[in-house]
Amino acid sequence: MATIELVQVEKLFGEMHAVKPMDLTIHDGEFVVLLGPSGCGKTTTLRMISGLEAVTRGRILLNGRDVTWERPSERDIAFVFQFFALYSHMSARQNIAFPLQAQGEAKAVITQRVADVARLLRIEHLLDVRPGALSGGDQQRVALARALVRRPAAFLMDEPLGALDAEFRETMRAEIKRLHIDQHATTVYVTHDQIEAMAMGDRIVVMSAAEVQQVGTPAEVYHNPSSLFVARFIGSPGMNLIQGHYVNGVLHLPPSNRYTVPARWVPAIQQVVGGEGDVILGFRPEAAAVVSDGPLAAEVYAADLHGSYTMLHLSLGPDEIVHSRARRETHYPIGTPVRFDLNPEMVRFFDPQTERAIVREGVPA
Amino acid sequence: MTSVNTPALPARAERMSQHRRRQMSDRAISQLFIWPTLILLILMNIFPLFYSLYLSFNDYSVIANEPAEWVALENYQEILANQRSRYWHNFIVTGRYAVLSVGLQIVIGFGLAMLLREKFRGSGLITTLILIPMMLSPVVVGLFWKLIFDPSKGIFNYLIYLDPRAGDQWLSNPTLGLWSIVIVDVWMWSPFVMLLVLSGLSAIPDYLYEAAAIDRASAWFQFRRITLPQVMPLLLIAVLFRTIEAFKAFDVVMGLTGGGPGDTTETVAVRLYSEAFLGKFNTGESSALAYIVLIIIIAISNLYIRALNRAREG
Repeated sequence: MATIELVQVEKLFGEMHAVKPMDLTIHDGEFVVLLGPSGCGKTTTLRMISGLEAVTRGRILLNGRDVTWERPSERDIAFVFQFFALYSHMSARQNIAFPLQAQGEAKAVITQRVADVARLLRIEHLLDVRPGALSGGDQQRVALARALVRRPAAFLMDEPLGALDAEFRETMRAEIKRLHIDQHATTVYVTHDQIEAMAMGDRIVVMSAAEVQQVGTPAEVYHNPSSLFVARFIGSPGMNLIQGHYVNGVLHLPPSNRYTVPARWVPAIQQVVGGEGDVILGFRPEAAAVVSDGPLAAEVYAADLHGSYTMLHLSLGPDEIVHSRARRETHYPIGTPVRFDLNPEMVRFFDPQTERAIVREGVPA
Repeated sequence: MTSVNTPALPARAERMSQHRRRQMSDRAISQLFIWPTLILLILMNIFPLFYSLYLSFNDYSVIANEPAEWVALENYQEILANQRSRYWHNFIVTGRYAVLSVGLQIVIGFGLAMLLREKFRGSGLITTLILIPMMLSPVVVGLFWKLIFDPSKGIFNYLIYLDPRAGDQWLSNPTLGLWSIVIVDVWMWSPFVMLLVLSGLSAIPDYLYEAAAIDRASAWFQFRRITLPQVMPLLLIAVLFRTIEAFKAFDVVMGLTGGGPGDTTETVAVRLYSEAFLGKFNTGESSALAYIVLIIIIAISNLYIRALNRAREG
């Protein structure tokens, strides 16, 4: 069991920042997801925690102990690789036993612990098979078993489901989450899949361009994104974002819509832009509802049925499409003029200059 | 290919069909390519193979101008059962030579490959330089090393003894004679083992070592449990090639010692040569000897191939 602390950790590849100085504290037993598009530095961060990559500056603490310059083998952490990294010339059993054998554990202990972990992951029947003959999901189960068998202080997982078929992903996602709940081991999990991050993480660290954008629970990053990047990246589709012109409590939106800003937001917005200025309005698809007397006018651009709901694409003007989540039965022919309203609890505002969220009392960012 | 060539056809089509008739069928072309090779193969390889098998059961000499006389297994008996013929001595020399030189080549070749595995400034150049001995003609190598081993003017003794004048006469010493051939063979062919091992090492993905580092494996444990088994298939191929070559050892031996002193470095191939040609022209018996060597090489190859398959499957 472990707490992991990153203090101003930074990584440079030559002149290029792979990870800009970041601080992060991961609590004992927590499941933290590093989320971001490829090349954002999330895997580098994970590899620095593991010791596979050296930090350029900063310190890494494991249970309060400075491990910045310790080898991976001295850190008591397990690492699950995206492409499994199983030893291809060994059977599943030998793969799982490897970390115990490397430590010179007694034969009886090894046999017992391999059997235990194989039962936990339901791979007992595959123990004598070589990785090459296993499905992707089973290979990852073996890799997980190899990580678990050592009972390490923390688990680091680098896109462990990235190489799996969609079907296996769902199953393995649930299995890993369940495993975490049962084992209660500190876990750092890297993914570029925001759905995976939302489903699994106790907390999500959203990264972009080598920088931490936001750290928060899945609900926090979903409802209160701290920046335009997070707003767009989280959710499918991402948050609707329309640039408007704010004048004294009213937001002028294209083509000629006027949206009255909820009163409790006015002071925060005025603090940022003054009496008049550009402001970006953000709202999730489920915050917009088509109602006959809604304050905003749009035209139906397209509508697609997603099974349990219908996604309406509403056009406010050229290149200004917003998404609204409607009931399954909803049907409008393309081109229908509609009016819609926004749930005042669920609107957010962003400063187009800084791309940061405008924060008001009571809404943490 | 059948075309109905009637005057009613347009001129263009007629030209086409005439053109086609001048062309050969695919089958004819393939025959044309295959038969010359096949005939050559039959004349140069297959016929001698079976003819020498036949001769190995006969008392025959190519220069005796007498017909072959069927003696059944007498030639084989002479080789395998007659102590005085000293054929066993040749097999023992060959076996010792094969074990020593292949063993040393594996150790040195593997070591060189491990050293050159990490790229550094000039590593490409060094790799190429190390490969040069392999590219030389064995006869030339034999002649050069004969000079190198020369106790009075060679550089070998000068380098390894404090007092070169008190150094051994490598090529004319009964014990060191075989060792000097081993040294030359190792010098020449360790680079070949290195080349194969190097390609095997470069095929091992880095992530296996990362996983092993996470799994807290020591460097020695990583070598034993990851590097060695991953390289094993290629290493076995190197061993197979070198063993077969060692059993055929002829040119370097002839160049260095000619089998001497006495017959202390006389390998099977050298003995075969002297039985078959050097004044003796003992064609029947040497055919039998050649067949015995062939069977041994096939047997060893099969053992290796079996080991290779095991290494691949685990």
